[in-house]
Amino acid sequence: MIKINCVTKRFFLRKTLSELICHPLRKKRSVLALDSVSLKVEKGKICALLGPNGAGKTTLIKILSTLILPDSGQINICGYDLKTHPEQARSKIGLVTGEERSLYWRLSGRQNLEFFGAMYNLSRRKIRERVSSLNDILEIDDLDKPFENYSTGMKQRVALARCLMSEPELIFMDEPTKSLDPGSAHKFRIFIKETLVNKLGKTVFFTTHQTEEAGELADQIAIIAKGKIKASGRINEIKQKFGLAQEIPLKELYLKIVA
Amino acid sequence: MNLKKPFAFLKRDFLINSSYKTSFLFQFGSIVFAILTFFFISRLFGEKASGYLTDYGGEYFPFVLIGIAFYGYLTTAMTGFTQAIQEEQALGTLEAILLSPTKISTVLISGTLWSFLITSFNIFLYFLLGALFFNFPIGKMNIPAAIIILILTIVSFSSLGIISASFILILKRGDPINWLFSGISRFLGGVYFPISILPVWVQKVSLLLPITYSLHGMRMAILMGSSIGDIWQDIFALILFSVIFLPFSILCFKFAVRKAKKAGSLIYY
Repeated sequence: MIKINCVTKRFFLRKTLSELICHPLRKKRSVLALDSVSLKVEKGKICALLGPNGAGKTTLIKILSTLILPDSGQINICGYDLKTHPEQARSKIGLVTGEERSLYWRLSGRQNLEFFGAMYNLSRRKIRERVSSLNDILEIDDLDKPFENYSTGMKQRVALARCLMSEPELIFMDEPTKSLDPGSAHKFRIFIKETLVNKLGKTVFFTTHQTEEAGELADQIAIIAKGKIKASGRINEIKQKFGLAQEIPLKELYLKIVA
Repeated sequence: MNLKKPFAFLKRDFLINSSYKTSFLFQFGSIVFAILTFFFISRLFGEKASGYLTDYGGEYFPFVLIGIAFYGYLTTAMTGFTQAIQEEQALGTLEAILLSPTKISTVLISGTLWSFLITSFNIFLYFLLGALFFNFPIGKMNIPAAIIILILTIVSFSSLGIISASFILILKRGDPINWLFSGISRFLGGVYFPISILPVWVQKVSLLLPITYSLHGMRMAILMGSSIGDIWQDIFALILFSVIFLPFSILCFKFAVRKAKKAGSLIYY
């Protein structure tokens, strides 16, 4: 479903005013955001990309979503090479971010979904059907309310409904529970596992820095730090590889690896 | 041609703009004040100016009304394309749109339709109010010539707007094209006064601006009833601007998108 092979990305930093004046010819400073990242995710599985802030999680998910171009490496999504067939790959994926600002606040939930349905070239009838079925699945409170009046949890559901409008096979989630309270985050995780993956057969690749979330949800994890994948696979396999007992909590494993 | 997406953008922009009811209504109110201002300026020195305006019928008020109305198209083109991108970036919706099978050029063009529609409606209001209350002469208007100039005006101004949006994708703020063309066009393009009053060498500079041909052609078509054949030079110049700048602007924009995607700054503003 996802095959990432040796993906590297370096960002060049903007020169400060003093650098521009004092050293106009000096090269820009850079940060290595991803360093030869390789990873595989199988169809119908949940994979958590676990890492501290600034580890490169969002950069990787944006590269996988075709929003950022990598410097080198190959990526294959649902059988399509991202470099040669980005449009075909894009038709298979959906993205949900933890940001509240990813929909039009002055429009209602329904108007937002209708607009994005049109962006996916869906017919009016198809849009109506999908909005209605997603409303049933996600139990959104009053789709005709302005988006700005929804609670944070409800905004996240509308964002997920927007992502599901195109019926993607693969769903990327960038820290999806970042702004949710513990109760709503728990419900959201149950929804991902039971409905999205078990019932609808989607593959989910999500980023998080919460070990509990990764442990609760993921079939496989990848631990990333300073742009490098430090470990990947099933949690018990990683524990075995690092010589840790199975009863050791994921948090301890994570801290040992990241440190 | 699939019009579903442009229509969805238009509907979205109508819903968003009309949800800010006061601002939606006030934008039309400012037209009345602009007309009144120029009507009285015209009365102040109208006869003195008429010597310079014989080519356009001799009256200052109709001359300047066409100038300010059509300068609105230049403003819309220069700011509309950049705003379309910047607003999506600020709202955080650009990522979501770009993940759909929607090209960024569709976001750019469809996202500007509403601004062009409002500008066209504003121009209609300028002319309607001018004709109803201030003797703005529309009786002689040559409609086919005016429509051709209008279309070429939008296309040639849009090319400049797309180049301007390309700069914004990379620089984020302060694009030189908008600064250069908006300021120079207002001064040298004949918006408020005929370019014939400028020194000869400055008049030559104004020949490099599409607005010069756009305003001349439009004034001749509306005020003097000139036909397409009479204003062929203006039409030819605008076609030339469009043929040169439109492909160039698209190339610039593609380059800017690729550069922004490489820098990882496509969604930042």
